Amino acid sequence: MRKLMGGISIVLALVIGILPAFTDCQSQGRSLELANGKTVPMKCHWTGIASIGVAVPLGLVGLSEILSKRKETFNILSMFGVVLGALAILFPTVLIGVCANPDMVCNMIMKPALILSGTLAVGASMIFFVSTRKTMEPAA
Amino acid sequence: MNLLQLALKNISGNSFRSGVVSLCAFLVAAFALTTTLLMRGAETSLRLALDRLGADIVVVPAGSEAKIESALLMGVPVKFWMPEDNVHKIAAIPGIEAVSPQLYLATLTGASCCSVSDMFMIAYDPLTDFTIQPWLEQNFGDDLRLGEVVGGSYISATEGDQNIKIYGYLVTLKANLEPTGTGLDQSMFFTFNTAYDIASKSATQADEQLVIPPDSISAVLIKAAPGSDLYALSAHIMREVSDVTPILSSNMFQSYRQQMTGLLKTILVIMAITWGLSIVLIGLIFSMAANERRKELGVIRAIGATRRFVFQSLLMEASLLAFAGGATGIALSVLSVTIFRNLLISSLGFPFLLPSPAVLFLQIGIGLVLALFSVNLAALFPAIKISRQDPAIAMRE
Repeated sequence: MRKLMGGISIVLALVIGILPAFTDCQSQGRSLELANGKTVPMKCHWTGIASIGVAVPLGLVGLSEILSKRKETFNILSMFGVVLGALAILFPTVLIGVCANPDMVCNMIMKPALILSGTLAVGASMIFFVSTRKTMEPAA
Repeated sequence: MNLLQLALKNISGNSFRSGVVSLCAFLVAAFALTTTLLMRGAETSLRLALDRLGADIVVVPAGSEAKIESALLMGVPVKFWMPEDNVHKIAAIPGIEAVSPQLYLATLTGASCCSVSDMFMIAYDPLTDFTIQPWLEQNFGDDLRLGEVVGGSYISATEGDQNIKIYGYLVTLKANLEPTGTGLDQSMFFTFNTAYDIASKSATQADEQLVIPPDSISAVLIKAAPGSDLYALSAHIMREVSDVTPILSSNMFQSYRQQMTGLLKTILVIMAITWGLSIVLIGLIFSMAANERRKELGVIRAIGATRRFVFQSLLMEASLLAFAGGATGIALSVLSVTIFRNLLISSLGFPFLLPSPAVLFLQIGIGLVLALFSVNLAALFPAIKISRQDPAIAMRE
């Protein structure tokens, strides 16, 4: 069970970390032009950067879940998985957001993919947390 | 130990087998619900788009049939023109109750004078209109004034609280129409006066002038008199007016309907194969499981469990697995279709509208029942066979 959960966390971490790099507007050659002629990335780019900040610890959580021997450790790691999954959902929706145009690639692929991956991370971590707690033996 | 506890123990006893059965239920439920959401949603979208159009016949310049369908359904901006005089010729045809001309316009792409790029815009004649005007009067008791617009459900103000810049001209967003799931949700509606005002001022205010050829219109919307034969009317229009094509609203979006029908047939074939294979696979898994557990079930019978108890425990196990797999499949299907809606619309090439919560709950219920029915159907024969077995023989083997 731990290996399965660890594997799921690592796969989701890879999706959360890698996919935004190819599906933000910056990757499609789009950026905001300022009055002084300089260009700055759109906000979906910063959501992509923040997603890497979620993906790295989520990957480490997955790796630790595979290696963990104690159920207590696994439980704590599962809770981390829930928090990191929630952050993956909140970055493109509430905390940073993506571009306003619904036809842009960040709106069509990046945002839904992060929401789906985050939801799966939260759901899987919660299910494994609850099922592990049920099978935990009481402390002596 | 009650039925539920026994079923749960059996499920946790062989997680691989349980996982495969749940996966089959997951596939059946997810596939069925995704197909239903897409196809029913597309049908609803087409119906709402036709209702929004509100016309029995739409007359467009010859050769523009596909363009008008793309514009109304996918919001792809179009520009085509025909003489304004056609309105009077069509209005004179017997059997026609009302005619109303429209102008189809588009904003510029990536120009600083337009705060929205590539938007399809429809200008209507408030004196004759029978599509937007009745809705406005019903909801606001008022018509659109010069510079005021009504937007589809996706249109929002970009300049301040209420304004949108088009060709350097600030229009005021007065209201939003209800969603149809089609390109009309990303379109904007205003009166002829506003269109001509934008066009005249665009010469000095815009990067590129909005050109509306004089004495030209894009299309004529027709409402037929009650009891009129629409096909005969169409034929009459083609005889009286040259270089135009009348499109019956019932024939509108035919290419999209054909595309949907083709996709539906393919999906139904794949679904039938998935469903059949899932039932066979689940049946085989339960047969193997029942054979493996002959001795165990024989012992349960020998210590007093009835045939009915053994039969019910196997079906309870099947139902729990079907419920877990089906519920997961349904949740993922609804989530994926909802959040990937824009991507699906652009990939499939036709719009669809998500159902109301009540209809969605009904569809979810049907999906779950389908998963439960499929798994129980597959588990039924092995359950009957093993429950009828003599406990003494089962324990000896």
